[in-house]
Amino acid sequence: MVDPAGPKGAVPAAEAPDVVAPASAPDDVLRVEHIAKRFGPVTALRDVNLHLKKGEVLGLLGDNGAGKSTLIKIISGFQKQDSGNMLLHGQPYAPKSVDDARAKGIDTVYQDLALIDELSVFHNLFLRRERVFKPLPLLNNRQMKREARTALDEIGINIPQIGVAVARLSGGQRQAIAVARTVNSDAGIILLDEPLAAMGAKEGAQILDLVARLKAEGNVSIIMILHNYVHVLQACDRVSMIQDGVIALDKPTAETSVQELTEIVVNEYRRARLESQA
Amino acid sequence: MASVAGGSAAETPPAAPAGPERALRVPSRRQLLERVISLREGSIIVVTIVTAIYFSANTSSFFTGANFETLLPYFAPFAILAAGEVFVMILGEIDLSIGAMYLFAPILFYKLNTSIGLGLVPGVIVTLLLCMCVGALNGFFVAVVGINSFVATLAMLFTFEGLALIISKGTPVATPGGQPPLGTFGKVFGGGTYSEIIWAGAIVVILQVVLTFTRWGLYTVAIGSNKLGAAEAGVQVKLVMIRNFMLCSLTAALVGIFEAVRSATVQPDPAGANEILFLAVAAGVIGGTLLTGGSGTVAGALIGALFLGILKDGLILQGVNANYLLFYTGLAVIVAMSANVYVGRARRGHSGSG
Repeated sequence: MVDPAGPKGAVPAAEAPDVVAPASAPDDVLRVEHIAKRFGPVTALRDVNLHLKKGEVLGLLGDNGAGKSTLIKIISGFQKQDSGNMLLHGQPYAPKSVDDARAKGIDTVYQDLALIDELSVFHNLFLRRERVFKPLPLLNNRQMKREARTALDEIGINIPQIGVAVARLSGGQRQAIAVARTVNSDAGIILLDEPLAAMGAKEGAQILDLVARLKAEGNVSIIMILHNYVHVLQACDRVSMIQDGVIALDKPTAETSVQELTEIVVNEYRRARLESQA
Repeated sequence: MASVAGGSAAETPPAAPAGPERALRVPSRRQLLERVISLREGSIIVVTIVTAIYFSANTSSFFTGANFETLLPYFAPFAILAAGEVFVMILGEIDLSIGAMYLFAPILFYKLNTSIGLGLVPGVIVTLLLCMCVGALNGFFVAVVGINSFVATLAMLFTFEGLALIISKGTPVATPGGQPPLGTFGKVFGGGTYSEIIWAGAIVVILQVVLTFTRWGLYTVAIGSNKLGAAEAGVQVKLVMIRNFMLCSLTAALVGIFEAVRSATVQPDPAGANEILFLAVAAGVIGGTLLTGGSGTVAGALIGALFLGILKDGLILQGVNANYLLFYTGLAVIVAMSANVYVGRARRGHSGSG
């Protein structure tokens, strides 16, 4: 799927003038400008520009290997971009680590969930934010259990036993815990990498409900990678599609349709096939 | 023994209140059995008790105070070694270099004391610190360079056993502070009859608390269970790994010094050190720590070491030919581990606490 130097040609990023980026500066909580990332010979991201408004839910679409997860990992501080820069609330944003990004209010649910099978539900919920008996370094399990219970109740996720290891939970429950961990973190920006993967229809609906509720509260902004166009149109305010390492489409969901999104993908597929035949 | 196991259980152990309340809370015999088995250390506790009963019934001298004293050196050093090793094994790694640290530490201690003239206690402290540096090097090769821990620590095992032979020129020497009549130093650091068992008890309790009730322990389990996930959640994976390798080297060096003081001589004997290394790993595994990582217990390692000690001591008392000792130990480990696997499956089947 990685095409060797497509017709567009790579834009040498970094100090390029800001005209390429969509202009809606004042209420943007996050701006991503000319981000590029290579892994050896593979170009994951060529020149990505993205912006996220306060309280907005942005759906991120793209083929497998288009670079969606890479983009998420760069924003969340897990990987570093080769070039390009990011702005958080108008200030330069260059997270040094996942902890650093989290301290700045950006938290992530990864595709692989980053859950620890052997640890209990509440230890997972509080990983890296453990409650301790200050000044002793001993874990305050009771407090964590109580807070975990409250947090899960608040976001409407029903896990009967929060003392069990997450290995024993169903795929949907695991996903719910991973999402709950992030929601529970008081982050201003939440990144969800395929939150509906490995979920049944009913569990998926619960997660989308949760997203809708968070949106209604208006405190968080969300970037969500999805595959199902119906879900995107239903849950997101705006949709961005990554193709060949650049944003190929950026539109409010009200102005687009399943047909249009499908057409873009089909055209891309045709083009790629023609190129490989030529 | 039961109290050790209770301390490591996730739920609060029943505090045995008096009166009618007690009748309500005491579980039936079947529930009690299930609860013991549902502990991670459950199977080895049962196996150890059965082994002890067998030897008590078959030899007249097993269940005596005098024999208890002979038993101590058969398991206390292994309990300490295994306690450190468990922290590395939970990561899903292994540290073979503990054999070298066990051998190298007393020789280094001897050199520091005799050549540089460092006092006994400062000598021990400097020795331990230097051995922890070796542990940090282990951790560096595994976590940062990315060498498989079996290979990296095997190389370190050879290197430092070799270094021990070079420095000592292969000749045994008298341990500083270990000569009779023993002073306070000698009595505390391995020479006293109960010195090693007290150290073992304290170290096991402290490390079990660290493992179950601190962030360090939580992250150790997290890395062993899901390394990428732990990193994505923000755990400093490399730092925790290096720290655990340092701990492992520290406990090994400590045991090396204890044993040298106890036997009054520093023996540059790599073969003996290697046997001790494997028995320590065996104690950890028998005690219920997975070599694949993600799960383990320090208290279990103590009981695993106790099991191996009872086995050796019991077989000797029974008058088993010395040539058969290793053979029987091997068989017993296989039987105990098989029991562990089956009981472990039963545990995952019903128990609520992990």
